[in-house]
Amino acid sequence: MSAARWDAIVIGAGANGLVAAHYLARARKRVLVVEQHQTPDPSADIGWVAPRVIQELGLRDLRVEAPDPWITIPLANGGTLELSRDVSRSTEAIRRLSPADAAKWPEFSARMHTLASVLEKLYLAPPPDIETRNPRELARIGGLGLYVRRLGKQAVIDLARILPMSIADLLDDWFESDALKGALGALGIWHLKQGPRSGGTAFNFLHHHVGSAAGVFRPVQSNVTQTLEGLKRVEVRRGSRATVLAKNGRATGVVLEGSGDTILAPLVVSSADPRATLDPLAIELDPEFARAVGNIKARGVVARGTLTLDRPPSYANLCIAPSLEYLERAYDDAKYGRDSAAPYVEVQRTDGNRLELHVQYVVPGTHEGLTERVAKTLNARPDQIALQPAHESLYHGELTLDQILFMRPVPGWSRYRTPIEGLYLCGSGTHPGGGIPGAAGRNAAREIV
Amino acid sequence: MGGAKRYDVIVIGGGHNGLVTAAYLARAGKSVLVLERRPRVGGAAVTEEIFPGFKFTMFSYVVSLLRPEIIRDLDLPRHGLHILPLESTVTPMENGDYLAAWADHDETRRELYRHSPRDAEAYDEYGHLMHFMARAVQPILSMVPPDPTSFAPGDLVALLKLGKHFRGLGAERLHALVKLMTMSSADFLDEWFETDVLKATKSASGIIGTFLGPRSPGTAYVLLHHYMGELDGVFRAWGFAKGGTGAVSEAIASAARSFGAEIRCDAGVSKVLVTNGKATGVVLENGDELRASIVVSSLDPRRTFLQLLETSDLPSDFVSDIKRFKFRGSSGKVNIALDSLPTFTCMPDGGPGGRLHRGAVSISPSLDYVERAYDDAKYGEFSRRPYMDIVFPSMIDPGMAPPGKHVMSIFVQYAPYHLNGGWTDAKREAFGDAVVNTVESFAPGFKSKILHRQVITPLDIERITGLSEGNIFAGELALHQLFFLRPAPGWAKFTTPVRGYYQAGSGTHPGGGIMGASGRLAAMRILKDGK
Repeated sequence: MSAARWDAIVIGAGANGLVAAHYLARARKRVLVVEQHQTPDPSADIGWVAPRVIQELGLRDLRVEAPDPWITIPLANGGTLELSRDVSRSTEAIRRLSPADAAKWPEFSARMHTLASVLEKLYLAPPPDIETRNPRELARIGGLGLYVRRLGKQAVIDLARILPMSIADLLDDWFESDALKGALGALGIWHLKQGPRSGGTAFNFLHHHVGSAAGVFRPVQSNVTQTLEGLKRVEVRRGSRATVLAKNGRATGVVLEGSGDTILAPLVVSSADPRATLDPLAIELDPEFARAVGNIKARGVVARGTLTLDRPPSYANLCIAPSLEYLERAYDDAKYGRDSAAPYVEVQRTDGNRLELHVQYVVPGTHEGLTERVAKTLNARPDQIALQPAHESLYHGELTLDQILFMRPVPGWSRYRTPIEGLYLCGSGTHPGGGIPGAAGRNAAREIV
Repeated sequence: MGGAKRYDVIVIGGGHNGLVTAAYLARAGKSVLVLERRPRVGGAAVTEEIFPGFKFTMFSYVVSLLRPEIIRDLDLPRHGLHILPLESTVTPMENGDYLAAWADHDETRRELYRHSPRDAEAYDEYGHLMHFMARAVQPILSMVPPDPTSFAPGDLVALLKLGKHFRGLGAERLHALVKLMTMSSADFLDEWFETDVLKATKSASGIIGTFLGPRSPGTAYVLLHHYMGELDGVFRAWGFAKGGTGAVSEAIASAARSFGAEIRCDAGVSKVLVTNGKATGVVLENGDELRASIVVSSLDPRRTFLQLLETSDLPSDFVSDIKRFKFRGSSGKVNIALDSLPTFTCMPDGGPGGRLHRGAVSISPSLDYVERAYDDAKYGEFSRRPYMDIVFPSMIDPGMAPPGKHVMSIFVQYAPYHLNGGWTDAKREAFGDAVVNTVESFAPGFKSKILHRQVITPLDIERITGLSEGNIFAGELALHQLFFLRPAPGWAKFTTPVRGYYQAGSGTHPGGGIMGASGRLAAMRILKDGK
């Protein structure tokens, strides 16, 4: 066989795959991206795009949407609560519900923002390697420790205290209004098969706060995947699913499903689900590692979809999560293997008036009556709603405390490598995880280069 | 009051931690007075004859993790401590089958093999890992938590040591530790086993005393407790004290007295006296004032700070931290006097030698069963079909009941302290009925054998023992309330913002369920400060 045309093959043309591909291309590698879907996914990318990625890859056409007010919450009495990017305006809005909550809003916003800034610091680099003896890595960990200490005593305490907490306990410490706690609490359960009373949901809340302004608890939307596609610096081959080929513990390329074509390259970087990437290679893997991959918790709980309205709505982001108890009951159904009888629903208006839906909890099954229930929740007709339930976590691994940092995707393999030489992971199953498009891709590419 | 005796140390509360502190301080030559509000020492570890001839350990029921060094240091066996083994656990299943764990390891494996060969294979490896992890965690239980916000050299050194200790575990075990600290017991056990009833019974030990279900993150860690008791070879994981847990308190009290400590019952403390930011003594409920250079409270943090002190004695941040400290009692207890032993459908003859009744019976037939019990409590109701841990103390120590009769102790979860509409006598009885009816469903005919029944709700626990919200651990054992955060950041080293005032109860590190460790560490701290 002739010498490989490609230095690297990237599996998946989502934000992480494309970011990794572009960073590799910048390092003068000949990169091919293979993507199973024929047409690009029209849905928006949800989550903070690190300025460093925008600048380093020259994403000039990137449009980031940060709606204001960032959330509209229907109230039981018929009115709405709207929270704005401006902390004092939100404070005024909250005052109509609860003066006590309004008084706490500015401090809550500031404290959470400080904590999210610590996560931000951790997210644009590989996770700290706590087993290292390498002086540079030790210095980096020491530097992080020092950074946190400099934020003050309160930040250190908050970090230790809040990260393992449940979002319900955290919000109950601060607020009394059910509507406010419901809308904030919903962010704590995003993409988790956990309810708001489960420990670690406060971390999930902060994770999704990374990159937002203080007092804004919904991530931005962007067209980062589209923008990356538009760059044309790397070739993208669409329409067939790729499986990694490996021999004697070494990645050799990929084989395309359907055609059976083999594409050779000494480096394969997969932004697909770690389990989907590694399962076909089980024979090449150490049983302990294979078991750890099998143990990744990646339970599907979300249906994404679209809402088609006759007229554009007045809101930019509508949240149906009237209380923490509502969310907890929605979770109870999922615990016993049913879709929520009364699901948490969020409508996100994207560019061009597309209305995207996030419905939770939707677990693998027949989804009987789900569309009708969502329609009822939104006062819409079932034919206006199209849902795509996910069988597995859209984050390729839930963001629970046992699956983050050096534990992600599996303990001890958090540096984007795998036991297969030449095979790397760069998707949201790796650090820092889903909801931060491109961060894992950048970290992985830098680690490879 | 003129010539009243002045003590070196006054210990408020004669529960096991208070008594341990007193014993250690007296042993070191201090003049110590213990003040107990109730007519007897023991706090939640008391044995009482509730019905004539029938003795019960009213609240706690097994001796789990009394620290071996305390048994040794205080020479407790000489003071009457006698631990009898509680060797088996039988879990009746809804289909009439059962899962048993026996004293004999091979027999347990064979039993497990009956349910799942795969689980029987995994069982030993799991045991090894947990045994190792328990050993790794143990030094932490007997250390004073360093304060990570402090730049004091002592704290930095302790933090570095701690970091070194963890790194010394090696990668694989460190990862297992992270999982244990953060996962739910159900998820953690899912990685090892497939038999639902096995996972349910194991995870049930992870929820005791918490307001969490088996699927709540943070419950995996408590799985370790089960393995800690075994380490020192003093006794098996779960034991039963001859004479009930009250006998443990009596033994510690006897040890304290032998070192010269004075113990006064029926002596409730209403206030701690503070002069110029320093504790100088206490005021009793009867108005008497007693003076001491050091005052130690073994009560829970809420009462230690918010009841015994004026908030003006404390920094306001600290007061809000203590107010935020969560209790949320979730357990109840039903004590039953029996005419004869109940017959369980799953093992009608009680096994060879009637050993079912000599061990624990766990009502945890499936993970969903236990999780649903929690669901009820989440929304403010007691569990309609609760998780229960049942023992028959009279089978282990015949002195607990009249000849031929028996006592039955049922630890029940969940019974939330904050019940919808509040606890009333009618609700208490309804709760008792739910417990009895559930047992009846696994042991038909049980009800007809009941002579007397005492139902204890978290509100009763609070009323009788003083434990806030009836939390049996004097404060939830949740990750955000452990180690340097227990009971409040910056104040986890047994000192308090008031000079000369110390805390020694289960509301301090390492917390409830590890009997006596807090009391011992507090005594060490006081002796160190006195040098």
